[in-house]
Amino acid sequence: MIKESVPIINKLGLHARAAAKLSHLANTFQSEIYLIYNEDRINCKSLLGILTLAASLGNAIAIEIDGQDENEAMTGIIDLFKRKFDEES
Amino acid sequence: MIKGLLITHGQLGKELIATAETILETKVDLECISLDWTEDGSHMIHKIENYVKKNAENAIIIFTDMFGGSPANICFRFNQENIEIITGINIAGLLKFLTSRNKKVDLKEFARSIKKGATDDINIISEYLGEKSK
Repeated sequence: MIKESVPIINKLGLHARAAAKLSHLANTFQSEIYLIYNEDRINCKSLLGILTLAASLGNAIAIEIDGQDENEAMTGIIDLFKRKFDEES
Repeated sequence: MIKGLLITHGQLGKELIATAETILETKVDLECISLDWTEDGSHMIHKIENYVKKNAENAIIIFTDMFGGSPANICFRFNQENIEIITGINIAGLLKFLTSRNKKVDLKEFARSIKKGATDDINIISEYLGEKSK
């Protein structure tokens, strides 16, 4: 199991379209993937679960991944955060 | 894959589908029947009958916009083994359906999970934040 923290740097935070991209990406991996924010821990493969975090710009999210492709999953997910979910130049 | 049919007053269903497609950035397999404000519903019943007949081999979830409204009342007659009808659908419930419909689950359990996703999404922000708004 691996765990890392990533800052939210896109203006709109984990809003609907970003959450859709994130859950879609998470579902391409076999590993179990969880996001931890404040006191909530949710399944990253659930779009609605991600939205319940109401996570906004300037905050950090912890990512916890457990499974055979955990390293690949962590790299891909952190890259998506860094790319601002491809919604900002 | 579980089929989905959205039945609403006016253009609400079409807008829900357009919103879901924008969020998911893909076209979705979801049909919509709109109840024209001037019609008595007989035309809608005929359209639903055709949809159900066309998809007789599939499990179907019919979504309507409001319990007690004409679209929901009309759908009561379609309550049968391969069909679940969910009233009061919102965009959260629709997204739950669209992102989970490929998983092999019992239809009734799936319908319950959609209802939960839709109702859990309704929040009073002052309560969510743990303080009274002034």
